[in-house]
Formats: sequence, C-alpha cells, structure tokens
Amino acid sequence: MAAKTQTLADTPTLPMTEAAYLPGVAYDEMFTPEGDVRQHYDPLHGRMSTLGAEELAARQRTLERSFLLQGITFTVYGAENTTERIIPTDLFPRIIPAAEWARIETGLTQRLRALNLFLADIYGDQQILMDGVVPRELVLGAPSFRREMQHLYVPHKAYANVCGSDLIRCQDGQFAVLEDNLRVPSGVSYMLANRDAAKRTFPGTYRAAGVRPVERYPDLLLSTLKSMAADWRADPQVVVLTPGVYNSAYYEHAYLARLMGVPLVEGRDLVVHENMVYMRTTTGLRRIDVIYRRVDDDFIDPLTFRRDSSLGAAGLFNAYRAGNVVICNAPGTGVADDKAVYAYVPDIIRYYLGEDPILPNIETFLCREPRQLSHVLANLDKLVVKAVGASGGYGMLVGPHASQKERDDFALAIKADPENYIAQPTIQLSTAPCLVDGRIEPRHVDLRPFILSGEKTIVTPGALTRVALKRGSLVVNSSQGGGSKDTWVLADDAPSNGAGHGSARP
Amino acid sequence: MMLARVADSLYWLGRYIERAEHLSRLSTVMLNATLDQTDAGAQAVWIALAAVGEPGDGAGVGSFEAAQALVLDRSDPNSVVSSLARARENARQVRDQITTETWERLNLLYLKVTDPDATKDFAAGSDIFLHDVIADLHLFKGAADTTMSHGESWRFMMLGIYMERAQLVSRLLEVCFAESPTHGRLGDHVALVSVLRMACALEPYLRVYTAEIEPRHILEFLVFDEDFPRSIRFATAQIEQHLSAMVRSVSTNERAGPERLAGRLKARLQFADVDELEAVGAGPLLTTVVNECARIHEAIYETFVAYPLETRLPA
Repeated sequence: MAAKTQTLADTPTLPMTEAAYLPGVAYDEMFTPEGDVRQHYDPLHGRMSTLGAEELAARQRTLERSFLLQGITFTVYGAENTTERIIPTDLFPRIIPAAEWARIETGLTQRLRALNLFLADIYGDQQILMDGVVPRELVLGAPSFRREMQHLYVPHKAYANVCGSDLIRCQDGQFAVLEDNLRVPSGVSYMLANRDAAKRTFPGTYRAAGVRPVERYPDLLLSTLKSMAADWRADPQVVVLTPGVYNSAYYEHAYLARLMGVPLVEGRDLVVHENMVYMRTTTGLRRIDVIYRRVDDDFIDPLTFRRDSSLGAAGLFNAYRAGNVVICNAPGTGVADDKAVYAYVPDIIRYYLGEDPILPNIETFLCREPRQLSHVLANLDKLVVKAVGASGGYGMLVGPHASQKERDDFALAIKADPENYIAQPTIQLSTAPCLVDGRIEPRHVDLRPFILSGEKTIVTPGALTRVALKRGSLVVNSSQGGGSKDTWVLADDAPSNGAGHGSARP
Repeated sequence: MMLARVADSLYWLGRYIERAEHLSRLSTVMLNATLDQTDAGAQAVWIALAAVGEPGDGAGVGSFEAAQALVLDRSDPNSVVSSLARARENARQVRDQITTETWERLNLLYLKVTDPDATKDFAAGSDIFLHDVIADLHLFKGAADTTMSHGESWRFMMLGIYMERAQLVSRLLEVCFAESPTHGRLGDHVALVSVLRMACALEPYLRVYTAEIEPRHILEFLVFDEDFPRSIRFATAQIEQHLSAMVRSVSTNERAGPERLAGRLKARLQFADVDELEAVGAGPLLTTVVNECARIHEAIYETFVAYPLETRLPA
C-alpha cells in the first residue's frame, strides 16, 4: 500500500473543532488526499463548520434521546441479564454521488440476479456443479445447503427476496463486495430511522443536497412479498414471522410489520392443518399466504429441521412444499452467501449472465485448498481470517491487530478444520467524519444497501452505513460495538449553485 | 381480526397500566395522610396496604418505606415499577398494534421509573415523583384514546383497564366497608377523605354530595354512580360494552360468553341500591363483583385467546 505521509500542512481542518481532522491512509469520504473537500460534501462541510462543538453535542444528545424513546434498540446478550441499548448513531450523514450509486445499483442487481439463478440451479438440475465451475462438495457439503429444497418451485426464481450485501470502499476509491447476506439481513429499520433523524438534524442541508428518498421501502417490500404469491391468490395475506421479543432484531421485525400494516406473528401463533398455514386470531383461524420470516432456516419447522425449536411451526415446510404458503427468503438461500462460495461469485456471474462482474470481490483465500492454506498460515499477520459458518464479527481474526498468541491459537484452529476458514487481505475501509467525544474524527465505514427481489428487482436508493466507532478499528458489526449513520444518495451530481468553486474550503 | 396472542397482550397492557396508576395513587394518599400525626393517618396506611393485599398493620414500617416499596421494589411483582415493566413488555410484544404516540408515552415512563436515579428522585420528592407518574399514565391513556383506532386493539386494552379497575375499586371498598357499611372503622373525616382520594373521587364526590362526607354516600358513589369513571357500575358498563362490540365479530356457540356474564353483572348493579346494601352489608355485593370479574376474565380467554382449535378449523 502506498502510504502517503501526512504532514501537518496537509491536514484538513474543521473550524468548529480547532483540532485537525486526520484522515489516515484509507480513502476518506469527505476529503481528498490533498485535503480538499470533495465536491458532493461541500454543503454538509459548510454546515458542519458553522455549528459549534456545543451545538453539535446537543444535537447528538437529541438524536440519541429520540432513538431511546422510540425504543430503537437492540438486545445485548449478557451473562446475567439482557439489556436493551440503542445502536450508537452518528449525526453526520455519509454522502454518495449519483454516478457512483448508479454503478452500485447495477452491480448489485447483476449480482443478486446471478445468485438467484445459482440457487435455482443448485436446487434444480445442478448444471453449474456438473460443469465444474463451483466445487460440488463445497455446495452440497455446506451446512446451509437444504436438501429439502431440491426441486421445489420458487416463483420468479426469487430465492432471496431481501438481500443486504456489505460493500466497502477500498483505498483506490472503488467499491467492492465484502459479503452477501441472503438469509435474514437486518438493519433496514436503522436506515429508515437514521433518515428520519438526519432530516431533523440537518433539514436545510438535506433539502439543498437533493437526496433520494428511502421511505418507500416498506411498501416496496410488501409488493415484493405479494408478488411471490401472485400466481395463486388475489389478495394474499402476508405476515412477518419473528422469533419474538427477545431476539436482538425484534425492533426491526415489529417496525416492518407496523409500516407494512401486516401482522407480526410468532411460531406459537401458527397452526398448520392439512398443509395450510393459519394464524390464531380472536375470531378464529385465518389463512396465511406469504411469510416474511425473520427466523433462521433451522428454526422454521421442528418436523423438518431442528426438533428442539419452538420458534417456527410444525408442518410449515410441508405446507411450503405443497405450494400453499410462500416463505421469504426461501429456506436454503444461505448456501449462496456462504463465505467459501463467495470466492466463486465472479465465476457464477459470468456463468449465468455471460457478463463481467460490475462490483469486484475482495481477494479471498480458501483454506480448504492446500496451497492457499499454506499462504494463509504464512501471512496471518497481514490477513483477516473468518470462520465460514460465523457471522456478526464472531469467529474472526484481524491479523495485523492480533497478538502473536491469538494468531498462534487461530493457526491451530485453522489447521484442525481448514474447510471452515477463509482469509482476505486487510482492507483499509474508507473513513467518514464522525462525532466522537465532542470531536470530529475519521472512522472506518462500510455500506449495506438493501435489494428487493420478487417479480422485479429493486435497489433502495440509500443504505445503512455502519461505523467502527473505535479509533482505527475495522470491525463495524453492532454486536461488536459498531454504530451507524444515515446514507444520502444524491439524485443529481450537478452542482446546485454555480460551478467551478465546488472544492474550495469555506 | 387480530392475533389471539396480541389480544392477550393488549388486555394485560391495560390491566398493568391501571394497576400502576392505582398503586401510585394509594401511595400518594398514604404519604400525604401521614404528614399529620393522627390516627387517621395510620388508618389510611392500613387501608392502602390492605387494599393491595398486604394486610400488615403498617406498624414497624414507616409509611415512607412502605410507599417506596410499593412504588420502586422491583422484586415485588405487584409494585408500580414491576407493573410498568410488564406493561411495557406487553406493549413491546404488540408494538405493531399501538401507535408511536402511545408507545412513546409508556416507554418514557418506563425509562423514568427504571432509571438508576429513581430511588434518589423518589426520596427527594415522592409527591412530585408520583404526581408525574400518574400524569404520564393519563398522557398514555390520552394518546391511546386520540391516536389509536377505536377498533379491536383499543377495545382489548380498554377491557383490561376496566376489568382491573372494577376489581381494584371493589377491593378498596371491601377493605373499608365490607364489615360495616355505615361506619365501622372509618368514623374519622380525614380517613374518609383519604378513601375518596384513593379512588380519585374527592372532587367529583363533592359536586354530588357537597362536603358532607358520609360513609353511606361514599359507598353509593363508588358503587352505583352512573357517570363517575371509577365507580364499579361505570366500569362494568364499559366492560359489557366493549365485550358486546367484540363478540359481534366472533361466531361462537358458547352460551355463557363473556358478554353475557358482563351483562348480568351490569344489570345487577343497575337494579341494586344503597338501602339494600345497608340492610345486608356491602360485603356480599362486593364479593360478587370480584368473583364475577374473575369469571368474565376466564370467559374472555375461552372465547378469544385460548379456544380449542377443533372448534375453529375450516370445515
């Protein structure tokens, strides 16, 4: 990496903090390496400069108070008791120019189309495995592969109806896909809540910037879900299935049900009778057509999957197989976001679409391959190693930040079960300005846009930007102390007031 | 149409809200009555504690400690803080059914009473603390009334509120008047005023009966008044009304449905009068109210929540 030596003269300053904003070697969302404000950040930068530290702190408190009051919390599992916390939310929006977004949008649409075709294929005739593009044992041996899904018809071949892929912006400024989330991706309620908050915090800047709205997400989600049943019922009954109030994403489940105007059900509300699914209402049993489930595959149906689970409903999967109910996302989609399958996604795109991937992957080493394994073991201090089956930032080694002992322990774990690990180079995620302890400082961010896929594929023009709140940390997961901020996708990149002085510092 | 589990949660949400308000009011009255060192003060403490099912004589425990426990003891499932925690837990279960305005009132109050500083705030000004809790609960009910659609969700919550109220007021009156409807232990003017305050009834009572505070009139007002929202008759009329509205949408063959039980109880209160009560004592009627409410509660479950599936499967 070409580390640019930063001198004090290069350091961009923000007037209200006195302290300098010190971007590191990573790409900074607001400042160019020369210390100029990127044009699309001009209005926000101008506004930030006029607000004093006290005013910013006051706005930040109002924001947090509002989240707490609304109950926008997630559950932290502790040893003794569980508590609710708000996800730390940063005041400053992250801004993405229209042209960049257009590329993200087409790239994600392409990617999800290919992944849905991949799922249709491996749960169908498995042509891609016969052609040797993806190793057979990798797919069929994946814990997320669901044999029960074999030869089951899914409308529009839309297996993943809701997808939340994680993108990062690398040092060269290009976006790349870090991972795909095709099972039960969460965070969309934070995207919507952050937008509400940002509108109240920076109303003038928001209006002037020309930001594309995200508010239609709930009705687009509802029509996507309904389109999955369109073949056989005129006005399908849609429900959201949640594991319940103790699930860490419960707020989101209730939020989506409320905004879609559909019932939020738990497994204990469901009854399966003669392969039809009903919910128990005050006026008797009511038939259900589409289930937007926020329960993992394993817990959907104790008869088919885990016997000890009471989160789903006995017989649900048979009703699904019989075509009497639709489950969204389809069970078994997890095999397409498996961290090992990830390495093959560019090939998958070429195979089904005959196109080159628009959004690149991060270089990925599969420990299951002996040559790649020895490369990984020899370079643990430079790589990020992830367990294939884990998520949420668990089961992960960030090599450069780990101690020798941690690396040695991880090496043993990898050698014991190489199939379970992949490794990637340590990428310097881009940084964006965040308010931390009363100062504006760069923090690493990623980007989780949400893609809906049913009869049509729609990318919501906005995203959840997750923030690693610890200085220098690259881990953005909320379960690891990460936060979030609003993401503004601009409708138009043309400067709104005169051209030519866009990058001048005020 | 709503989920049976959701109806259950809304019903309990209403009950816990009402319970929290009642307990807060008992605590306020108890603390106020003991400011003057009189026998009536001790009597008020005894009434309040007996009315919440803690019939210790209050001796040995100061009224402040007793009130603090009633309000803030999290290990006591019947305290104000526990009731509010349960109300909020139920509200969270049905977050998709209640409006943001309604939810925020309750969440705000929950955050206040569970704040690490709550004990300090209570000690510093118990009167203000309790006044705020009650005012916040009024705001909650106001928000529910003005922002929620007055359909099934709202009705189940109101049903919970009035079921709880009918039972709490009956219990309070049982403590005061069951043994002797005319005077008994409550000869003292201050003690009688305390009872009216505990039922949030002092001002409305004065407008009907003037400042002549008579046990007979208190009983008459709190049992039979048609217009006072905390009288047993008013509460049972509301229960009956909400149940009849809900039952219209349920096809059930059950003969003793909850609305029939509620209608019977309502009629009973409608056609009784205070002379009869004086003749036989208030005890039997109040006991009937408590027992009938328990039967209505069971019938609500059998009809709307825990019905046997066989009866409701499609033909």
